[in-house]
Amino acid sequence: MIAQYVANGLLIGSLYACLAVGFSLIYGVLNIINVLHGTFVVLGAYVTIYCAQLLGISPLISALVGCAVMFVFGYLVQRLLINEVVAAPVFISFTLIFGLDLLVNNAMIQGFTATPRSLLVDYGSISLFGLSLSVARLGAMALALVLTGALYWLLRHSQMGRAIIAVRMDRHAAALLGIRVPRVYAITFGIGALMAAAAGGALALVYPITPLLSGVFLGKSFVICVLGGLGIVPGALVGGLALGMLESFGTIVFGSQWSTTVGFVLMLLVLVLRPTGLAGRKGYE
Amino acid sequence: MLLRQLLKYASCTLALGLAGLAGSPAVFAADPIRLGTPLSLTGTLADEGMKEQSGLEMCVEAVNAKGGVKIGNEQRKLELIKYDYQSETSRAVQIVQRLLTVDKVDFLFAPYGSGDTKATAVLAERYNVPMIATSAATEAIYHQKQKNLFGIPFPNRAIAEAEVKFYKTNVPQAKKIAVFALNSLFPKAIAAEVRQMAASEGYEVVYDRLYSPGTLDFANVLTQIKAANPDWLYATGYIQELILLRRQMASLGMNLPVVTMTAGAAYPDFGQNLGPLAENVTSNAWWWHPSATYKDAYIFDTALNYVEAFKKKYNKEPTYLEAAATAGCEVLALSIEQAGPANIDAVRNVLASGRFETFYGPIKFGANGQNEVASPLLLQIRNGKYVTLDPKEVKTGDLIVSVKAQ
Repeated sequence: MIAQYVANGLLIGSLYACLAVGFSLIYGVLNIINVLHGTFVVLGAYVTIYCAQLLGISPLISALVGCAVMFVFGYLVQRLLINEVVAAPVFISFTLIFGLDLLVNNAMIQGFTATPRSLLVDYGSISLFGLSLSVARLGAMALALVLTGALYWLLRHSQMGRAIIAVRMDRHAAALLGIRVPRVYAITFGIGALMAAAAGGALALVYPITPLLSGVFLGKSFVICVLGGLGIVPGALVGGLALGMLESFGTIVFGSQWSTTVGFVLMLLVLVLRPTGLAGRKGYE
Repeated sequence: MLLRQLLKYASCTLALGLAGLAGSPAVFAADPIRLGTPLSLTGTLADEGMKEQSGLEMCVEAVNAKGGVKIGNEQRKLELIKYDYQSETSRAVQIVQRLLTVDKVDFLFAPYGSGDTKATAVLAERYNVPMIATSAATEAIYHQKQKNLFGIPFPNRAIAEAEVKFYKTNVPQAKKIAVFALNSLFPKAIAAEVRQMAASEGYEVVYDRLYSPGTLDFANVLTQIKAANPDWLYATGYIQELILLRRQMASLGMNLPVVTMTAGAAYPDFGQNLGPLAENVTSNAWWWHPSATYKDAYIFDTALNYVEAFKKKYNKEPTYLEAAATAGCEVLALSIEQAGPANIDAVRNVLASGRFETFYGPIKFGANGQNEVASPLLLQIRNGKYVTLDPKEVKTGDLIVSVKAQ
């Protein structure tokens, strides 16, 4: 049975990792706390659900559509709105993003209503070594690895990635070297939104989606990034798996109503004892 | 220059004057009766809040269509003064405070659910304003010896009793029960009632735990429950978590004889989100059957008429939540009519002593303010529709024992 507990912990952990990768990119690299993250995830999930249900497209393609839509949305939000305050103190951009989140969230409640909606696609579960593993969650595990790998490739080996790091290091120096800073910010935000939408697509297979989940997802992403650490690409992966395992064992030892508390207590401990997170480092890559 | 300034002042004054005229009430209409309505239109209980709103609006429209409530020679319309408390208890309390002190409403409706009703009932008592609770069934709220709280749903205990007796009789081979409850006033209370009653009827309670709202993963809980091998799983909570719970039961390959889910599973959205996984899950409701022969002389005539009118306006079927809200408002309107001129003490007395025959069934408030007339319905989901298992008078099918992981 311990093996099943471990498997459960890893599976929920990879869902969490998917959730947090986009947030970690924007927070760790751009140093913007993207309060819109949870909303992006839910919007991506809604696009996936509506494409799959109304247009009859397969969930995978619908998720890709969701990613494309959210990339454009994220890009525009950053380029037209957040860019205006990106040079101002972080409190100002935080307030702006928070306000946008309230707007978009309530628009979603008006438009989609709070009634839960689901993708009625059941991939079932497989039995491996006597363990029951949900196929949708295994898919999420694969997605978490793909997203982390993509992020790594982006930041290390692509022109845009190096530009993003350069802008983070020193905005003015980057501009002097010919990097179009507002465009870089907008593209990064767009990529963060795209990853959020990818997570949304995976989550749509598992959870009934309502606009009210955006707060829950944002909270979890925050905890995961603090636990795992910023400034390093696999931070979200480490944090997600750690949180998944901690909550799992918290459930068994203390009972399910304490599992979230366990996660937050651990986050507090990490902040006090090892502020850079379990895997994080100070500085940039 | 002076002329321009003069023109500016003149146009401003004219505009204000016109606005004033437009805003002033018509001279001949009597003032409406103002009903304070805190609603959870956003937040985790948004779905339930919207349902409550629909139910209340059905009643207000029907009563106003008749010209309003008849008090002596004049007729006064009903008016809902609505605010959204965002599913936060503290905000519900603030809003009820505001309704009482700033808006000075005549009567109140309680917010959704036992927890928030309990928190705000204290205010109703302090300001001596009758409050109708349409969605709170936990007895603990009504034990506070209040004069102003009137609850439409009958006590949890009636449902727990009906369920345990039914399953004991119809599934005699079931010996072990697992209880898993949401850590919120009503789901926790009803799970506790069921656990106690099951234990006293000879069931072995193999699992008895709580979970918090917003839980994203039940895999480990279900692994533990699966290992305990229960015959009957009794899970309580609101729709979001119950859907997830059922899904994860399937992915862990759990097959159980009886699975009962309380409070979320009685809404059609549960079946819509689960598809075939909802098959054979049982639940319960405070009342709802269109074919029940309750007659209503005031509005809607029969249950069937109510369902038709609701479907026409909202394009979907009502659940017991909407019906209870409509009935709550109706009972208030009836009491105001019977009590004559708007004298709150008289209205309160009528509420406390009267028996109301409504499309929802007979309603009579007991000494503690809760409806004494109990009519629990036990339901099972089959093919996306609800089959009524109990009581025999309205039964439409027999229990099928087996909830499979697909």
